[in-house]
Amino acid sequence: MTGDRASSTPAAPPKSPQKPAGAGRWIRWPGVIAFAVVTVLLAAVWWLLVDGMIECAIERAGTQAVGAKVELAAADLTLLPLGLTLNGLQVTDPDEPMTNAVEVQRISFLMDGLNLLRRKVIVNEMTVDGVRFGTPRKTSGAIGKQEPGVIQMVAKTKFVLPSAQIPDVKEILAKEELRSLKLAETLRADIQAEQERWKQQLAELPNKAKFDEYRQRLDKLKSAGKGGLGGIVGGAGEATAIQKDISQDLEKITTAKKTFDSNLARIRERMDGATKAPEEDLRRLRDKYALSPQGLANMSSALIEGPLGDRIETALRWYAKLQPYLQSGGERKGNVEVVTPLRGRGVDVRFKEQAPLPDVLVRTAKVGMDLSAGLVSGTIRNITPDQPVLGAPTTFEFAGDKLTGLQSLKLSGEINRVDQASPHDAATLNVRGYRLLNLPLSTDDSLPVFVKEALTDLDLKAGLRGEALDANLAATLQSVQVTTGVKPDADAVAKAVASALSDIKSLHVKADITGTVTHYAVRLSSDLDQVLKQALGKQMQEQMGKFESKLRTAIAGKAAKPLADLRSSFGGLAGIGDDLAHRVQQAAGLTKGGGKDGGLGGLKLPF
Amino acid sequence: MLQLADDVRGRMIRAVYKLLQVIGSETEPGQISLGFAFALIAGFTPLVSLHNLLLLFLILVLRVNLSAFFLGLAFFSGVAYLLDPVFHRVGLAVLTAGPLEGLWTTLYNSTLWRLEGFNNSIVMGSLIVSLLLFVPFYLVSNRLILKYREHFLAWVQKTKLVHVLNILRYGAGS
Repeated sequence: MTGDRASSTPAAPPKSPQKPAGAGRWIRWPGVIAFAVVTVLLAAVWWLLVDGMIECAIERAGTQAVGAKVELAAADLTLLPLGLTLNGLQVTDPDEPMTNAVEVQRISFLMDGLNLLRRKVIVNEMTVDGVRFGTPRKTSGAIGKQEPGVIQMVAKTKFVLPSAQIPDVKEILAKEELRSLKLAETLRADIQAEQERWKQQLAELPNKAKFDEYRQRLDKLKSAGKGGLGGIVGGAGEATAIQKDISQDLEKITTAKKTFDSNLARIRERMDGATKAPEEDLRRLRDKYALSPQGLANMSSALIEGPLGDRIETALRWYAKLQPYLQSGGERKGNVEVVTPLRGRGVDVRFKEQAPLPDVLVRTAKVGMDLSAGLVSGTIRNITPDQPVLGAPTTFEFAGDKLTGLQSLKLSGEINRVDQASPHDAATLNVRGYRLLNLPLSTDDSLPVFVKEALTDLDLKAGLRGEALDANLAATLQSVQVTTGVKPDADAVAKAVASALSDIKSLHVKADITGTVTHYAVRLSSDLDQVLKQALGKQMQEQMGKFESKLRTAIAGKAAKPLADLRSSFGGLAGIGDDLAHRVQQAAGLTKGGGKDGGLGGLKLPF
Repeated sequence: MLQLADDVRGRMIRAVYKLLQVIGSETEPGQISLGFAFALIAGFTPLVSLHNLLLLFLILVLRVNLSAFFLGLAFFSGVAYLLDPVFHRVGLAVLTAGPLEGLWTTLYNSTLWRLEGFNNSIVMGSLIVSLLLFVPFYLVSNRLILKYREHFLAWVQKTKLVHVLNILRYGAGS
């Protein structure tokens, strides 16, 4: 072992060692023992460090994935049987660094050793115990500035308490643009342009002078007809020519008249619209500024959308975080798939396997969640980022019965990436007898509203096909107790709303959520609208009546002149129609008998 | 910072001294060259690989100069960082070459080869490059050692550099 080592200095070469002869010249048998010792030492070091390495790897990968600290108290690898136990996993909520989104007491599983040698982590059964949500942290789990999420509700309704005061009409008309005025102006400009165009066209069409000319030619022809046989024969040809000319002119005028009539009909329709536009302005401004049924619907939507939207956004944000782990992200290159590992260098190239298996697969995970209500247990099957390889989706089923403040809970669904080109996920949640406590509906200063207590039944069915989100929620709240923070000096409307909300004993809410994961819309319907309408009916009617009357007068005043101008312009255009009708009449008269002696109708030809 | 610079300089001096010591010794040139050549494979390819375990066995069982191996390992590991993009390209080209698909598919279905991680572009690229260079490198290195000993060793031993290195290594009395 040492005989081959250089034992000299460059300045003073050592004496040549005695060289072994034959095979011994190239082989050192003690090296086998050295190899065994080194291998055992390496294995021992690995064994000593492996738990720490696993712990570090999980913490690093988890933190990178979540965007906040992921911590693990301990990892323990056993070789016989080959298994891993993780204790004290804490996943920080990136939005609240002093809170753990999830805390898991213990995760344990056995691995398939042979497949692990093939770099495939196959877990037949995993046990996840003591899952808790929203637990407090001792230290902050933030890892730096987080990018704001892009998940948002489209057209989120803002809570605005309607006012009992009648809004100032002058102020409203000063800042609001009346569509009726704009419509009248546009239409008037269009009518004038049409009028100009038709004036030009009328100049090109046959007119009185042309008709007089025809009469003269006819009169001349009739005179020639009295001059013997030659005159009669010559007159026949001229008569045919005149008839042809008049027919052509009549055709021109008739066609122009038809086009004009059609255009006029369209303009008349627009005139009708312009005349009705002030009424539409009235409706629009009344709905916007007065306590209207629509305003009440907006208020009830805002009360429910707030808490509902928060929960939808939280769910969708976590769903978005899971996305990279739901698909392997491989890229086809010829007949093989090139996969960039999440960590490490280079790329892995996958070839066809005789017995295809995903790189990571947890066949069954039994999960026990310690909710504040009690234990909810469930099973997740086929957890893998390579669903196309496995040919089966990830499915989950959770259930809990006789919990504290919750009669029963069922959650089931699937995450399907079997066909990566058309992913579709679905979830169904059924909750019975959930005791809802202190749910804030509105934190607006004008009227804070809380559901102090309610017994809730909830059914949610959600689906996501590609980017398209489609979910339906139906909730029934019984034994409702609503508290409001209405101020003593609040107006009549605020007091009436507060009183109506406090009287609510049951509530039915339906929500349709559509759109995409990043931009979704919620369509809500609830009997809260009806409750508010009944409570505010009198105030609403009085206020609306007064406001509507004032607004109508003001709008009519502003629209009067533009509409009068419009009618005048329209009258001018209608005059063109009269002119065209007159010309048609004249041309038609010539063909029937418009000449001095009866026109063409009075001309008798000998054949 | 100054401490770090001194440390690096000290390491480099020791490495040069060691290199001169190794190639200037009376060790069989083939054993030194084999040490360098094995270091080429171990240094270029990712260290934690199955083939490097086999290499460790060969290094310990064959009469390979260990000093040459460790010196070479330090050098080639550093060079490998620069050559990783080349290894990746070579590896990916070889792994995705149509005519070789059958071979790779067979190996992919073998546990031993999966453990080797041959389907990683850098493992494959660096292994191919180092195996191709192994024999030429061994022969060239052998030749250079012989030439060095024949023509330069005596001259090097007389240079001030070696004198300084000797002093640094063994003190003024050496």
